[in-house]
Amino acid sequence: MKPFEVKLVLPVVVPLLEVVKELAVGLKHSHAATPELPGTDVIFRDLWKGELLLGQNEDLSTLLELFDDEFLKEGVVTFDEDNAELIIRACSAVRLRLRERYLQVLGDEALETGEVDLAKLTEPTRKAFMCYLFLATLQELIIQRIEGTLLPPDLH
Amino acid sequence: MAETKTHIIPGQRTAAKPQLEGVWRVVVLNDPVNLMSYVVLVFKKVFGFDESTARRHMLEVHEQGRSVVWSGLREKAEAYAFTLQQWHLTAVLEPDEAV
Repeated sequence: MKPFEVKLVLPVVVPLLEVVKELAVGLKHSHAATPELPGTDVIFRDLWKGELLLGQNEDLSTLLELFDDEFLKEGVVTFDEDNAELIIRACSAVRLRLRERYLQVLGDEALETGEVDLAKLTEPTRKAFMCYLFLATLQELIIQRIEGTLLPPDLH
Repeated sequence: MAETKTHIIPGQRTAAKPQLEGVWRVVVLNDPVNLMSYVVLVFKKVFGFDESTARRHMLEVHEQGRSVVWSGLREKAEAYAFTLQQWHLTAVLEPDEAV
């Protein structure tokens, strides 16, 4: 995958990053999705959980690094072979936590289809749902590049 | 592309207990959060599926709530389940009663 840049609209994205950062703190210590652990060996299960958490933290750190001080000046993020997969996994982790923390009220069908009347949502739920969509958009952009389904910009 | 880091775990147990012998299935369960395109990508990366196989399993998860994505020896099944969980898919192991 060739590196590519995306310019984001800062006034839209910055409030959503507050949500991402808040949830990332909690995700340092708990799994985004409670893993189904095989067997009954306690040491093995603890190792399993610990390794998952280590990987999750690395993914989240990579996601948060995108939105550093430089990003706040220009609104540009860069994806490349080193960060792409970590970022789409981190987006998945945060989206799972968003559902658990803020979006249960919408129901799973609405989350799957994305058909939600934003005007009817409370402000915290609306912000969480916008964040949920934003992270999905980042994932889609990266996945399309990984899959090679988008033409390079110079061929558009 | 960065490699998925599977440091441990699966395969490190040396003495297989009798109940862990035999054939095991890796089953992926549906969740309402992960994108279809994401699940297809994960199946391709983890199992080396081609596009149509990955999509078939993804649709099976989406429409039927679950898909058996692999079956074989326990240790390898654990490795696959662990990797799928790294990608935040809901993966469980089941003994294959038919074998």
